[in-house]
Amino acid sequence: MKRIGVFICHCGINIAKTVDVEALTEEIKKYPGVVHAENYKYMCSDPGQNLVVDAIKKQKLDAVVVAACSPTLHENTFRNTSERGGLNRYVCEMANVREQCSWVHDDKAIGTTKAAHIIKSIIEKVKYDEALEPILVDVTRRALVVGGGIAGIQAALDIANAGIETILVERSPSIGGHMIQLSETFPTLDCSQCIMTPKMVEVAQHDKIKLLTYSEIEEISGSVGNFKVKVRRKSPFVDWEKCNGCGECDLACPVSTDNEFECHLATQKAIYRPFPQAVPNRFTISKLGQPPCRIACPAGVNAQGYIALIRAGKYKEALELEREANPFASVCGRVCNHPCESDCVRGEVEEPIAIASLKRYVADVGSYPLEQKKPTGEKIAVVGSGPGGLSCAYFLAKMNYRVTVYEAENVAGGMLVLGIPEFRLPRNAIQADIDYIKSFGVEIKTGVRVGETMSLDDLQKNHRAVFIATGAYEEMKLNIDGEDLRGVLHCISFLEKVNKGEKITLGKKVAVIGGGNAAVDAARVAKRLGSDVTILYRRSRREMPANSWEVDEAEREGVKIEFLVAPTKIIGTNRMQEIECIRMELGAPDASGRRRPIPIEGSEFRIPVDNIIVAISQKPQIDWLEPAFERTKWGTLVVDPDTLETKVKGVYAGGDVVTGPATIIEAVAAGKKAAEVIDAHIRGVPVVHKQYKKGRPEPEDLKRIQKVLRAEMPKLDVNKRSKFDEVELGFEEEVAKKEAERCLNCAICCECLQCETVCEPKAIAHDLEDKIEEYDVGALVVATGFDLYDAERLKEYGYGTVQDVVTSLQFERLLSASGPTAGELKRPSDGRVPKRIVFIQCAGSRDKENHLEYCSKICCMYTAKHALLFKHRVHDGEPIIFYIDVRTSGKGYEEFYNRVTDEGTLYIRGKVSKVYQDNGRIVVLGADTLSGKKVEVDADMVVLAPAMVPTEGNEEFVRKLKIQCDAKGFLTEAHPKLRPVESQTMGIFLAGAAQGPKDIPEVVAQASGAASKAIAILSQDKISFEPTVAGVDEDLCSGCSICVGVCPYNARELDKEKMVVKVTEALCQGCGSCSAACPSGAAQQKNLVDKQIEQMVVTVLEEK
Amino acid sequence: MMKGNFEPKIIGFFCKWCTSAAADLAGTSRKKYPANVIPIRFFCSSRIDPQHILQAFRNGADGVLIGGCHFGDCHYQNGNYKTARRVALLHKLLEGMGIDKRRLRLEWISAAEGEKFTKVIKEFTDEIKKLGSIQGKN
Repeated sequence: MKRIGVFICHCGINIAKTVDVEALTEEIKKYPGVVHAENYKYMCSDPGQNLVVDAIKKQKLDAVVVAACSPTLHENTFRNTSERGGLNRYVCEMANVREQCSWVHDDKAIGTTKAAHIIKSIIEKVKYDEALEPILVDVTRRALVVGGGIAGIQAALDIANAGIETILVERSPSIGGHMIQLSETFPTLDCSQCIMTPKMVEVAQHDKIKLLTYSEIEEISGSVGNFKVKVRRKSPFVDWEKCNGCGECDLACPVSTDNEFECHLATQKAIYRPFPQAVPNRFTISKLGQPPCRIACPAGVNAQGYIALIRAGKYKEALELEREANPFASVCGRVCNHPCESDCVRGEVEEPIAIASLKRYVADVGSYPLEQKKPTGEKIAVVGSGPGGLSCAYFLAKMNYRVTVYEAENVAGGMLVLGIPEFRLPRNAIQADIDYIKSFGVEIKTGVRVGETMSLDDLQKNHRAVFIATGAYEEMKLNIDGEDLRGVLHCISFLEKVNKGEKITLGKKVAVIGGGNAAVDAARVAKRLGSDVTILYRRSRREMPANSWEVDEAEREGVKIEFLVAPTKIIGTNRMQEIECIRMELGAPDASGRRRPIPIEGSEFRIPVDNIIVAISQKPQIDWLEPAFERTKWGTLVVDPDTLETKVKGVYAGGDVVTGPATIIEAVAAGKKAAEVIDAHIRGVPVVHKQYKKGRPEPEDLKRIQKVLRAEMPKLDVNKRSKFDEVELGFEEEVAKKEAERCLNCAICCECLQCETVCEPKAIAHDLEDKIEEYDVGALVVATGFDLYDAERLKEYGYGTVQDVVTSLQFERLLSASGPTAGELKRPSDGRVPKRIVFIQCAGSRDKENHLEYCSKICCMYTAKHALLFKHRVHDGEPIIFYIDVRTSGKGYEEFYNRVTDEGTLYIRGKVSKVYQDNGRIVVLGADTLSGKKVEVDADMVVLAPAMVPTEGNEEFVRKLKIQCDAKGFLTEAHPKLRPVESQTMGIFLAGAAQGPKDIPEVVAQASGAASKAIAILSQDKISFEPTVAGVDEDLCSGCSICVGVCPYNARELDKEKMVVKVTEALCQGCGSCSAACPSGAAQQKNLVDKQIEQMVVTVLEEK
Repeated sequence: MMKGNFEPKIIGFFCKWCTSAAADLAGTSRKKYPANVIPIRFFCSSRIDPQHILQAFRNGADGVLIGGCHFGDCHYQNGNYKTARRVALLHKLLEGMGIDKRRLRLEWISAAEGEKFTKVIKEFTDEIKKLGSIQGKN
């Protein structure tokens, strides 16, 4: 049996007061296994420790129990003592009879009894304790510092200067943190930039520091000495290897956005460098994805892009960008159904941007001389010269294919020319787009009807691929009596004749049947031909498929519309005279989501008309295609939805021939897709369909936007519309620019690619993606910094509503020589120099009831500094500071405060209750608690000192690192006094304001402290771990692997050959959950085996 | 045994990082609480095998108190979740054995919650006093 020695400490009177140490010693002496027991006043003192050493030697002790304070305090001490006596350190245990016994009880008898129980249980434990050796593991001699503010910079420099490789990870594109935003620093008033930038440069140039800005920690695993850290290198969309920071892109970029570095007091471009002295001096593009307008467009036309270029007055570039995704800029600017506008985020504020009209403006004014190109590649045939066919031809020709378009009619343009009347779409607008398409070398052969003039076979023989885009021209019939009477016209053939200039005479009264765009067009044409026109539509206005703005225009022109009416028969002999209709009512929604019309029995009535124009849709005319081409039951062509290839290899189809009558932009999209697929198939590469992330402002941010109404399209006077002149007149430049200003730049970067054109080193990379890099490091320093408490939550102080109420950090920027006002103090609202500034301290701090309980520590000093700097800038300025207490603990701080008051700053002790604007003046209401009076002050500006809070996302980050933060979100140190720079996880150290509010000198000191702790680990070759890990008794292990599942560290693994579990001791952290889970008792945590626990339990429960 | 004089025997199984540290904090803050709970310290509450708990009851414990870290705070990532599951199951089994499940209590007490530790000890001791001796019950 082990020879155990027990040493009971009085801890002065701390233990002895409530524990009868003498009696206890006598009792313990009698306990089985104990060969020696004694007590002493301070066991942790030198003489106390020597008692232990002597006893170990003289009594030949095998194990030691020290009954004293918490093992957290002195376990290490007494284990060292035991080693000095010649014992293994793991056979020394502590019994906590102070914190968990003497200090919490008053009755000496009770305290003594409990102490005896505690000591005996520890004696039982030590009986079975084994001598263990610490586990030694190699150390990866590399550090990683998170956060590039002054704390992170200092820590990284200190570690690197010790010769240890250091990785510095910063979330934003530049290091510098908040310190680089400051103007001057208290109490010495040295310029923050002047002392900060040399340090930043030193980081960048240090050969031991690897700087990873615009990067975030993705994942961390491992433990002290051997962490594995995954770092997400966010894409700056600029190749930083090539970027030389010249700033040409900044000048070219047409998108302005909020400037975070300037605390929202200025704007920056979508391509930006946070500030001119940024380290690294590289540009980054703010890109949220693709704007909703671009995603809504079937052809993916970059509306945000060309709108930005319109703002910049770059009309040629805007037109080029429009045409990049859709050659029909001129056409679509006029007659597109613009789904982009339906998704426009501006519509959530008041009205969507007039995107289509802006597009038309650009097409009208941005035209440029076309260069005639001659493609040289493979030959492709396109059948049909509508928007689908011509788009396909255009995109293929741009890829150097030789494309011939075969058109049955004598004019190119398909439905654009034949179906849409000139007053909506003038012929020269179509021609402009067709000319543009032709400039890429697209050949258009008109008057060639494939299937008649030449066969599809011939085409296939002479071309690598064929794209069929013959549209949908066959008109649907009403299928009612009298439909073949004279005077009954069909819409498309009617429009076609008009558009071709054929003479048509209509009677006095004309009825148009249908509710689509073609019906409305036909009605407006008939009106222009002099007839009295009524549209008969079987559902209500809401269900009309025609564009609502076209319907409005028709009505303005005098077209009447009868809703919920359907024709039942046409009456007349030879020539029609009347139409019989029936009234309808709306039933349940049908497959299209529109409510189905149901006839009302007995409601038939007759309308005398001379002509009716049937406009109830069309279907494709594809009789000429062989049966090998599969058709749907609606008579459309069947294609593979991903590739648009028909059932016949090498023949593709798209547009109305596949979809039935649809929109122009959908036809363009189909043509574009077909071109991409045909190219991919010919080159034998896979077809890629890219998915884009939508980028847009948060709905919350939209609340701040001032409402500006959408520009109205000027139109031809209704009385002058007897001819076919274009109705919509187009924007003036001024209107177009103003409309473009309304764009919210949803995705920030609009991908107008102006930066690309000016970037000489060719560094712009809009397709660059995030990368994940993995680093092995031995230790980490966390210096994630702070943010200011959201001042908008301090509603009573008017921040966010009164423009001249700013935060302290904004005030720093207004004072800074590099700030938005170049160091001249001007207030944001009108640029006037403020004469009286009210400073409000403790904005959110020290307000347990409403905001945050703690003191933010730095605000008293920087507010004093603000007052002084204000006086320096504006000599007759009046700073007034509202304070609760002025706290100036720090070297030279009180002296600084005295200087500020001496130079004429009024301090009012009390809180401000309200800040509001009244007739242009800012009124501050508060209390002077020293005189007990209310105070009302007029101010030109108000500066708040918001509380310091942990940086955004800190809690999530803390979870990733498996360290702790307190209820306020600040990082928790291992011990508030003795281990202030260590986290509770070994090898992870803390620095800076992330751990709690502190000023710069303290931050730097803490960072150096954290660095030296990291160096202490990294300067060793090996690191030792507690050996109290869990092992496996192979004789008992059945290989069930339950323990493998419960181990959070992947320290356990099944050896499939031996069918027993193996432990990687270096990974085991010693939680013991495997021991509790093991059904056979094979998994045992060293020095806390089941037997020990059992004995401890039994001992504790024994009666004295 | 008169319930008024009954001093229950309670075992406290505490994890080192949170609840035992809270007990230390209660001591440092000189809080006072009944001496019925004798603490046994583990690295993690997930080391506690249900068998240890049953053994405590078998050997005459009137109550068992388990203290661990709050969810999300476990020093070993998720040990406290395992403990929570084990205790939930054990509660069901205890009923079947005729042991009032209130005799086994699980509490999350963080290192900062010395006050809570004190409160829990007082409450639990009172509750066990009301329930009476486990032997009396049998």
